[in-house]
This record gives sequence, C-alpha cells and structure tokens, in this order.
Amino acid sequence: MEEDEFFGEKTFQHHCSEFIKHSQQIGDGWEWKSSKDCSDGYMCKTHFQIKSGTVVSNPGIYNGVQTCLPVEEVLEVPLDDFEVTQTAMASEVIKYEYHVLYSSSYQVPVLYFRASFLDGRPLALKDIWEGVHECYQTRLLQGPWDTITQQEHPILGQPFFVLHPCKTNEFMTPILKNAQKINRNINYITSWLSIVGPVVGLNLPLSYGKATSQDEVHC
Amino acid sequence: MTDDKDVLRDVWFGRIPTCFTLYQDEITEREAEPYYLLLPRVSYLTLVTDKVKKHFQKVMRQEDISEIWFEYEGTPLKWHYPIGLLFDLLASSSALPWNITVHFKSFPEKDLLHCPSKDAIEAHFMSCMKEADALKHKSQVINEMQKKDHKQLWMGLQNDRFDQFWAINRKLMEYPAEENGFRYIPFRIYQTTTERPFIQKLFRPVAADGQLHTLGDLLKEVCPSAIAPEDGERRNQVMIHGIEPMLETPLQWLSEHLSYPDNFLHISIIPKQTD
Repeated sequence: MEEDEFFGEKTFQHHCSEFIKHSQQIGDGWEWKSSKDCSDGYMCKTHFQIKSGTVVSNPGIYNGVQTCLPVEEVLEVPLDDFEVTQTAMASEVIKYEYHVLYSSSYQVPVLYFRASFLDGRPLALKDIWEGVHECYQTRLLQGPWDTITQQEHPILGQPFFVLHPCKTNEFMTPILKNAQKINRNINYITSWLSIVGPVVGLNLPLSYGKATSQDEVHC
Repeated sequence: MTDDKDVLRDVWFGRIPTCFTLYQDEITEREAEPYYLLLPRVSYLTLVTDKVKKHFQKVMRQEDISEIWFEYEGTPLKWHYPIGLLFDLLASSSALPWNITVHFKSFPEKDLLHCPSKDAIEAHFMSCMKEADALKHKSQVINEMQKKDHKQLWMGLQNDRFDQFWAINRKLMEYPAEENGFRYIPFRIYQTTTERPFIQKLFRPVAADGQLHTLGDLLKEVCPSAIAPEDGERRNQVMIHGIEPMLETPLQWLSEHLSYPDNFLHISIIPKQTD
C-alpha cells in the first residue's frame, strides 16, 4: 500500500537486501525468503550449536561446564578422542532459527526466533536463555521491550518466540536522528539487529557497520 | 427498525453449541461421557473450557494429564484465535453441534502456542487490542488509558460483561471530528487453502475523494480470489460472525460494529456449499 511512512515495507525490504549483500560477502548465512504468493517475505538465518555437559568419556575436552560451542570448534578435536562421544552429541545439537519480518501495524522490523533439537523437539524459552551470555540476560530485563512471548509466525503459521515491537521506535529514533545529524549513512536493519540480536543469542560481526558507511543507502 | 447498537449485543452474545469428546487413545479409569457447552463466539477456547477440563480429568489419572488441547477433524485448534473465527472457518458447513475432540497428551508443538495460564490469554488479547489501536489511532487512545481501563476490558471479556467491556471499548471506536473514520482498519482475512495463516495489510476506510471504502473494495484490493469471478457464480462465501455481510457495506461501519472484542475484523473466506 502507501509509503507515506518513515519506515515502510519497501524501505524495509531495501535495507534487508543491502544487509544480505554484506552477509553473503562474509558468509554470515542470512537469506531472503519470499512468501508463497510472493507478495512479501522475510530475512532468515539458521545456525547450529552443540550443547555440551552431557555424559562424556574424555574429560580433557570438556570441563563439565555448560557451554555452547560452534560446530566448527568441535570438529577440530582429534577424531579418536571424539569417537566415543559422537552419538551422545548428536542429540544435543541445537538448531537456532532467526527470522526478521516487517510489521505493517507498527511500521518496524520484528525479530522472531525458535530453537529445536535435530529430532524436532522444541526448546523452551528458559533453555534458550542458558545459551545467552549473562550480561545480555540483564539487558533483556532492562531493555525497552515489554516481553518475549510465544506467537504465531505471520507467514509460516508456526509458533515462534517474538521480541515485542511496540517500543522499537523508542530506541531506534535517537539512533537515526543522530546519524542524520552527523551525516552518516546507516542501515536501519543493521542498527536494530545489533541491539536486539545479542539478547537472543544472535551476534553481528562488526563489518556490517563498516559496510554501510560506504553505501549510498539513506534511511 | 434495529438500532446499530443492537448489532453490538448480537455480536457479543453469539453462541455455538459444542460437543466435547475425549480422544479415544487417552487413558481413562472409566468411560468418559461427552460434554456439551454453548461457546461464546467472541471468546477464546482456553478461557471458557475450565468445566470441560474438570469433567474429563475426573476420569483420568493425574500422571496421564498434561496440557489440554483441542482438535476438529484432525486439525489442532488455535486457542489464540476467537472461537467464532475457528467455527466459521473450519466447521460452519457442517451440522451442529460442533464436535471437538479433547486431548491431554502429545501436544502438537509445531502447530499450537502453549497456553500456560489465564495470564497468557490476557497478554495475547491485550497485545491484539494494542495492535488494533496502533492501526486506528497510532496507539494514542489505548496508551492514554490507565491500567485499570485495560484491566476492565479484559475482565469484561473474561466475565462476559457487555456493559463493563463497552464502557471502555467505545473510546477505541471514536475518531477525530475532522476525519471520516479510523486511520487504518484492523482486519485479518483467513482461508484454509493457503499456507499463510492470514492476510493483514494497511487499508484506509476512506478513499482520497472522501468516499467510504466497502468490504468489496477491501477484498478486491487484498484478496481478489475471495470474490472471483466478478461476473458469474461466486466460488466463496465471505463470513464474519456466522453471517455474510453485503459487499457494499462500508468498512468503517463493519469495523465499529462487527469487530471482535480485540477490535479486529476476523473474516473467513470459505468455499461455497454446493448442495
């Protein structure tokens, strides 16, 4: 419909496309998915993590503390040390999915996320928190958002957790105003995701911020 | 001559006769009788089925009971959708009573949201109301209300108190004198034939020339298949609260009178019955 708004859907899609370009350059895994009727879509990223802390035969590798290791690090372990525990590990691989959608009602992006084991069993919100660094847990409690709730994904129709969007403008407006003042180009999606992402275990490499300053993009 | 206000009462007090039957694979200590109930169209399943839960739990052992969920003809029922919407969309072409199957095991995690408490229903309901007001008034009216007003809206719904609810809700149905309606109309259009759960877009109640947009205008713009083909026999019914409003009805009027308590128009597109 109309684009008389500050951050309309077309603007959202444009910023996502710029964001994805950079993601492709650094292999960060974000991609665009169109809805079946192609009228809209969303940006998404999936990553896998191994949750340790289950029964392991070689205490040299893990020190028994609950940590989340990226898959690549685990594969660096010498194979014979790893063989015995390999089957036990498969059940503890967790798939994290992050989707960025546009809310026409609030005219802002919204972050949807969910986590599940490979066999499809979903993780509850408290299990997801265990993977989030402590300092971000505090930020979550203090942040300018009401809550994280389980909601229906507006395009897929499946349950996801959502960071409620109604206060997004509150924290984004000062950032955008300031960028305008110092005449710096920023990508709305990059700025927004760098604030809300870490709270739910999603980190953005710094190169995203540098990439945008070189673009022709204006918000 | 019916007053427009009577429509508000008819919508609020709509009921669906329902028969709840326990799923055959649930483990019971004795035979479970079906349970009959009149469900309010404007409410939510998990808000009005405490008696159903108690009835079936009486014949089950505690260890065989986990979160309750409902299903109709194999389709898990989304408790966060209003009851009237679920019925219109899934069961309106079948004979009454509405036959719903009750489950206490194998919660379908991929399909249904969890409903851990009444607070979850309240949070969902208020979230919908806030979104509706974001569309109608840029959230100005709902944000100006006090917490006790928000509580009154919820309590009105929970306790089936029409006057208590509308004492506050009428403020959400007002608009500035210089306008002819809300900023945008809160609506969702549902079809069982699409993967997408619903269509929701920005749509103004008044055209640039000041003419009021109709239901037909909305459908033509956001869901043309609903009213196809324009010349000839229509394939679908456009239903809200169990009725088919005329396509010429102004959308602003529909929004003020036929919205659900969450202030959204929940519209079902269902295939026309050929019999």
